[in-house]
Amino acid sequence: MAASKKKPVASKQVAKESARSGSKTVVERAAKAADKAAQEQAREIAKSSKASNKITTSSTAEYFSKNLQQVGFSSQIKATLTTLKEAVDNALDACEEHGILPEVTVSIEKLGAGSIKNSDQVRIRVEDNGPGIDPDDVPKVFGEYLASSKFGRGRCSRGQQGIGISAATTWAQLTSATGAKVITKTKAMRKAVSCVVEVDIKHNRGVVKNRETIDWDRPHGTSVEFVFDGRIQLNGEAGLLSYLNGTTLVNPHLTLHYKLPEMELQTVERVTPTIPQVPEATEPHPHTMKLGEFIAHSHLFGRVKTSAWLKRGFSRVTDATISELTKGGIKSSLLEKSVDAVNETDFKELFTSIQNLQLMAPSTKSVLSIGEESLAKSIRRLGAVDFFSVVTRKPTICDFKPVEVEVAIARLEDRGIDPDSPVQILRFANRVPLQFDKSACAIAQALTSVNWRAYGLHQPKESFPVGPYIIAVSVVSPFIKFKNASKETIDASDELVEEIRRALIQAGQKLSKHIRREEKANELEEKIRHIEQFGPILVQGLCRITKAPDSRRTKAEEGLRKLLGRDAEVAEQELEQAHTRLEAQKEKEASRQPVVEAIEEGVLQGD
Amino acid sequence: MATKLMKRSKKSDDQIPHLSKELCNRLLQDLERARRPVLYATKCSLDNALYNHKVGFLTPGDKKVATELNVSSVKKMSRAIFMLEILLRNIDTGAVNTKRELYYISKGEIKHNPMLKPLDFADQPESDAIIDFICEMLECYREELNCYANDRGGQTYSQQLVVTETLPDGDTAVIDLSKLGTSPFQPKNRPQSLKLSARKKIDFCLIIESEGTANTLVANGFTKRHNCILIGAQGVPSNAVRGWTKLIQDQLSVPLYFFGDLDAYTLQNIYRTLKAGSAASLIRNSDYSAPEVRFLGVLPEDIKKYDLNDYPVKEGDAQEGRALKKAADALKNDPFFQDKRNKGVAQILKWLLEHKRRCEQQAYFTVDPRDPTMPEKIIVEKIKRGNYV
Repeated sequence: MAASKKKPVASKQVAKESARSGSKTVVERAAKAADKAAQEQAREIAKSSKASNKITTSSTAEYFSKNLQQVGFSSQIKATLTTLKEAVDNALDACEEHGILPEVTVSIEKLGAGSIKNSDQVRIRVEDNGPGIDPDDVPKVFGEYLASSKFGRGRCSRGQQGIGISAATTWAQLTSATGAKVITKTKAMRKAVSCVVEVDIKHNRGVVKNRETIDWDRPHGTSVEFVFDGRIQLNGEAGLLSYLNGTTLVNPHLTLHYKLPEMELQTVERVTPTIPQVPEATEPHPHTMKLGEFIAHSHLFGRVKTSAWLKRGFSRVTDATISELTKGGIKSSLLEKSVDAVNETDFKELFTSIQNLQLMAPSTKSVLSIGEESLAKSIRRLGAVDFFSVVTRKPTICDFKPVEVEVAIARLEDRGIDPDSPVQILRFANRVPLQFDKSACAIAQALTSVNWRAYGLHQPKESFPVGPYIIAVSVVSPFIKFKNASKETIDASDELVEEIRRALIQAGQKLSKHIRREEKANELEEKIRHIEQFGPILVQGLCRITKAPDSRRTKAEEGLRKLLGRDAEVAEQELEQAHTRLEAQKEKEASRQPVVEAIEEGVLQGD
Repeated sequence: MATKLMKRSKKSDDQIPHLSKELCNRLLQDLERARRPVLYATKCSLDNALYNHKVGFLTPGDKKVATELNVSSVKKMSRAIFMLEILLRNIDTGAVNTKRELYYISKGEIKHNPMLKPLDFADQPESDAIIDFICEMLECYREELNCYANDRGGQTYSQQLVVTETLPDGDTAVIDLSKLGTSPFQPKNRPQSLKLSARKKIDFCLIIESEGTANTLVANGFTKRHNCILIGAQGVPSNAVRGWTKLIQDQLSVPLYFFGDLDAYTLQNIYRTLKAGSAASLIRNSDYSAPEVRFLGVLPEDIKKYDLNDYPVKEGDAQEGRALKKAADALKNDPFFQDKRNKGVAQILKWLLEHKRRCEQQAYFTVDPRDPTMPEKIIVEKIKRGNYV
């Protein structure tokens, strides 16, 4: 374009030079040449301007490849964690979908320096015993964005949209020029398929390379391997170990083997043989929809009466609702009309009327819980604990969405932790650990709103409690409202924060009985120590001042022991009462869950 | 006059050991019978303070603090008996110590006897609290246990006063204050061993809040021109100042005047303590207060009369704000300010609360800045005219 701008100047110069030469024809020719050049320039400008204003569309893959930070690849540490997380989530979801007890093997290693400055080349391999993937679906699963079997189904699965694992492939592709190496085998296949999947960024398509069939010594399963630029952080809240510990906690049915750099191969055995049954999604509640969704929903039903569509297509819409709609001014003819013949105006009227009706809250049947029994077993996999309390709240409705909150609090036996350091907080959404942006999360807000001092924990004002405790909070819902696409923070709505807070309070109350019992035991010990230390000193001092004989001293010492012994007896009684209260709590829990009692008893015996 | 009313006198030297042994014996007997001993100590706080103008100082009421021997109090009792033993030894040998010295003596005892290790004091406030507890139990003051604070304040000037001190060895020392030149006489914390006499009739005793102003008045010839005793209180009166003033009152029967700032703090913390003692020292107020002291000024009316420089109280200032709040509280709860005989000082407090202004004693220097004796003239004029409260 710069060149074309120069052209008329050059042509005018030619014209001027010609004019100076004095020949009229030459002048005319030169002028004509200048005009022609100017016209050409105008055409070129118009053409280029037309090109720049043209509205183009880009593929989803193109969008995400340029915005990977939005889906968890904003730093090299996060890239490693997100890649691992997406691969493990997919493995667990696949196993649960097909009723297989998951056995996952994770291997992470540093290969050398990465291509990005200050990065390492990292290899992550995640192998599962899941159902395997049909070879035709492999490019879709690993190389195509928004290709998901779970999108919008309203079930409590870990993955929802089908973005994460394709983003991991894209990151590997962008940083190390190689996609995801996949080996997969279904039960029906004799041999496994091995291939490399890459994302065709221009067309949002998975491309399979180096496909071959290989022998694989397992009946079914999938192995996926990524080589990419990243950084490995093992410890801390954002560390890989925290992720793996958290994943084992909320997946009691998982057997996990992992090999991390500078560590031996670790195995965490499953503590329950029960595979969680992910409840089927319920029909949508009309109050959770927008007009457009409402109309689009009707298209799924074809030629049925509008009233039938409302009753079958939505939850909490009954005959009574239909009659209320009629009373509210909706014509019976509209409700009798086939739904595919309803026009937009009528849809709008119908939608508005339903929104104004009082309907029962949405069903909570679609939420999945880990359960107090499984949590109680699982929490002991995090390390040796003195005691713990677990609470599973009944499913409830928050912001018109079914939700279930579960809390586990454990005190660690390891007192090496600085007593003034905040408790370890594990946050989960749909059984996936959340490791970043803690302060804005609904769970963190609920945690700081509880007065933990009332339950025997130390807590600076408006802060997290401190001490050698782990507090795990799991929120399960088919519609978790995350603050960002990378699913790191749960949106802190007042209703949800309150629900989490109640769960924490219940868990705190249960825990306090253990702590009180321990305090009483310490008090008793302290009192006995006091008697032994000060009794003789006091009596001897009194005897010296009064010049009393030894006989008086002996008698007074006996008397003092009796007196202080009575105090110790009171302390013993208080300890007994605290113990009884704790036992009563355990019995109450055991009547609901016999297994929990057995476990807690084991812990107390170990106290 | 007040002397006759103040019957509670210092316990004699053998009374404390006797009382202590009695107390310990009672404790031992209770223990022998496996009975829970209870120690009662006088409650030293304003809610247990009584004031009768005929007595002239704050006295303790009936409230007692009971300490029952149990697992929680056994440490405190053991420490008290341990410290009492040290104090009784001091009384026996005539040794005296400060609280800090007693803290280190107790540390030394523990160092040499590992069995006593559980009694060890972490810091001095812990041992101080035990000494105070012993005083409250025996209803004595720490000077009676040979525990003295260092002498502070009370520097005294006079051309007439003669002090005769009986020393512990029985010797006597005679101090003629007129022979001390510009040096003041420093009263001791144990003024009871002093005998006072006058070379000439003494007309009055003036106690001045500011040590500096007392010095200035003396330097300008106040004590040469007037037959008086002049004392610098140095702020809140120490035991030395309080006991010394009482001694002057009792032995010389001269009118006593206090000259200090016009503010809530001076009235409550300095003047009231000098005149009627304090709530914290209910047990020893009888020996450490001079009920005949009058408040000479600065009076609220002096501000107008002498056109003195006064200024508003800084309510934002934590200390001044606290003093005002305490003044309002004193008017409601302090029996001294509630007694109608002390209506004059109570009204000054009310005036201060209402006007929220204050005036310093040095403001008398503004009346005629070129006449260094002007404060003296005003003071003498006020005494002559009875312009005091």
